[in-house]
Amino acid sequence: MSHEIFMPALSSTMTEGKIVEWLKNPGDKVERGESVLVVESDKADMDVESFQDGYLAAVLMPAGSTAPVGETIGLIVENEDEIASVQEQNKGNQAEVSTSDQLELVSNKTEEKPVVHTENIKKEAEEVVLKSEKPVPSLNVDQINAATSNVSSRIIASPRAKKLASQMGVDLAKVHGSGPHGRIQADDILNANGQPVAIPWIGEGGSPASIPGANLGVERKPETSGNSFGNPGETVQFNTLQKAVNKNMESSLDVPCFRVGYSINTDKLDNFYKKVKQNGVTMTALLVKAVAKTLKKHPQVNSSFSENGISYPENINIAVAVAMEDGGLITPVLKEPCNTDLFELSREWKDLVKRSRSKQLEPDEYSTGTFTLSNLGMFGVDRFDAILPPGTGAILAIASSKPTVVANSDGSISVKKIMQVNLTADHRVIYGADGASFLKDLANLIENEPETLVS
Amino acid sequence: MDNRTAIINQPDKISSFNDVYKLQKEYQEALILDNSNPDFIWIGEHQLCYTLGRGSNYDNLLFSLNDPKYDVFKIDRGGEVTCHMPGQLVTYLVLDLKNFNKDLNWYLRKIEEIIIKILGAFNINCHSRKGFTGVWIGNKKIASIGIGCKRWITINGFSINIDCELENFNKIVPCGIENCLMANMIDYNRNLNIQEVKRIVKKTIEEEFSFDFISK
Repeated sequence: MSHEIFMPALSSTMTEGKIVEWLKNPGDKVERGESVLVVESDKADMDVESFQDGYLAAVLMPAGSTAPVGETIGLIVENEDEIASVQEQNKGNQAEVSTSDQLELVSNKTEEKPVVHTENIKKEAEEVVLKSEKPVPSLNVDQINAATSNVSSRIIASPRAKKLASQMGVDLAKVHGSGPHGRIQADDILNANGQPVAIPWIGEGGSPASIPGANLGVERKPETSGNSFGNPGETVQFNTLQKAVNKNMESSLDVPCFRVGYSINTDKLDNFYKKVKQNGVTMTALLVKAVAKTLKKHPQVNSSFSENGISYPENINIAVAVAMEDGGLITPVLKEPCNTDLFELSREWKDLVKRSRSKQLEPDEYSTGTFTLSNLGMFGVDRFDAILPPGTGAILAIASSKPTVVANSDGSISVKKIMQVNLTADHRVIYGADGASFLKDLANLIENEPETLVS
Repeated sequence: MDNRTAIINQPDKISSFNDVYKLQKEYQEALILDNSNPDFIWIGEHQLCYTLGRGSNYDNLLFSLNDPKYDVFKIDRGGEVTCHMPGQLVTYLVLDLKNFNKDLNWYLRKIEEIIIKILGAFNINCHSRKGFTGVWIGNKKIASIGIGCKRWITINGFSINIDCELENFNKIVPCGIENCLMANMIDYNRNLNIQEVKRIVKKTIEEEFSFDFISK
C-alpha cells in the first residue's frame, strides 16, 4: 500500500508552498524521520520527512513547482516490490527528478551513500560547493499531477482546481471534470462557481489569456459561450446594478468626449511582474500604480467638469471596472495609490475584488474614483474604447499585451510585447494635448522604469 | 513560559563560514534527537563569502561559479543569494520552535521585529516590507533573513550590515531583488561599533525569546 506525502503547512497563513528540492529519487529507500524533500515559503525552508520506513515510489510534483497545502506531492510504499506497480499507475505523471538535475555535489560525504540506518548524531555537515550551473527543470505542473488521486481512486482534480474549490467552497464531488479521463480542471471549478469575468487582468504572457468563467448565465446553456441573463424569446428586467450602470452610461451622452490611443511596450513591465508576482503583486495593482504616478504629474487628466469650472480633486483615486456575474459592473476604488506600496496595493485590490463579488463594498469604496481603468486584456482584445463614467474627466481602456513585430528607429525589426491603451476624456476639461502627454509619460514609465512602481 | 537555556557563542575573531555552519548542524541534530538539549545562538562575523538557499536562482550570481576568487556555499535555508563579510554581524539561531510557535511566518516576522528593536537601540528607524522579508531603511536593505527548518528546529538566521564593504553585493542580485540597494548601520549612526551592536543583539534575543544564556 502506498502512503502519500502531503505539502505541509509551514505557517498558519500559508496556502501553498514551493518544492525546492527532492532529496530522494524515486526508488530510493527512506527511513522514518528522514528528509525526503525541501519546501520553501518566503525566506524559510523546511525539510519534509517520511513518516514511515519504505521507498519513495513516485514524485508527483517536481522541484520548482508550487502546490497547495495538503496536496499529495509524492508517494511512499512499504515494500520494494510495490514501487513498480505504483510507478506504473502513475506513469506519465511523475516528475522527472534525477540527481543530474540537482547541483553537482563536491566533497559531500553523504552523497550517494546507501541508505542504511546509522545513528549519525553528528552527521557530517552537508557542505556543498557549487560547481555546475544547471537550471531547475521547469515542468508543466498541470501535466504532472494528474495522478495525484489515481492511487486511491479519489476524485481526480488538478491541484489548482482543488485549491480553487477549497477557496470557493465548491464541492469537488459535484463538479464534472472536462479534462482527460474526467479530471477536474481549474476552469471547471470556476464555471461551477459561476465566477464573474474578472475584467481587471491584463493578458499575462504572450497569448491571450483563457477566459475562465466567461460562459456564465443564470441557467447555463452549454451551446452558448457568451453571457446571457435570459432565454430566447424572453425580455428580462434590468437588475438594480444594471439600471445604475445604464443611468451612468446615458449621462455620458451629454459629455463631449474624444479618444486618444498609445501603444506601450510591456517587455520590462512583464519581466518586473514575473519577479514580484510571487510576492502577491497583481497586474492590476501595477497598472493602477503606473496610472496614479503619471496622473500626479498630469493633474489636468485627473480633473473633472463642474458647473463652477474645472474641478481638481484633492486625491488621486483609481477606480477599476469589474464585471459582475449576474449583470452590471462595479468600479472598486484604490485610494491614493501613490501613497501605498505595491504589495499593500495588491492586497487591497484582492480584498476589494473579493468583497465586490459578495457585494460587500461600502459606497465610498466604489464611488470615489477620480479616474477609471477598464481592462479587457485577458480576452486578448487588441483595442477598445471605454465610456466615461459621470463625475470624472477620463477613463483608460487597456487591451491585451501581444507580441508584435516592431520597426525600430534604426531600421531594424524586432518582436516586442505591445499593449494598446485608449484614453476617453471630457474635452471640456481635458484637451488632446493633455491626454497625449499623459499617455506619453505613462508609456515612458511602463517601458523604462517599471521597478519604480514598487513604492 | 519558563525560560529556556540556550548556549551562546560570540567569537571576537572572524569565523570560517564552514565551521560555524557545521556547528549549527550539530546543535540542530542534537535537538532533533533529544529536545531537552539546549538551543544555540551564534553571533559573529565571516570572511567574504556568498551563500545560496536550496531554492536559489543561480542567475542572481553575477560571477561564474567556477571562479576561484569567490567562496560560495549552498546551505539549508530559504531565500536567494546573499553575501557575508567582515563588518557585517551574522546571527544564527538554532531554536526548537515547538517551544515557541510552530509557524515559520511567525518566526520570520519575529526576527524582523527583533532586528527593528536592535536598530532602534541605536536610534535608527527601519521597517519591514510586506513581501520582502528583511529589514529596510527607506528603500535600502539593512538586514537580511534566511531560515532553514527541520522538525521545527531552525538553522541560520539573519545578518545586519554594520560597517562593511557594500560593493561586495554588486557581484550578486541580493535576495533576487534587482536594483536592491544595501545600507550600513554606520551611515545612520556614526558613533556605533560592532561590539556594541553585538551586545544589543544578544540582549534583545535573550529578552525576546526568554532565554537564559550559557556562554560557550
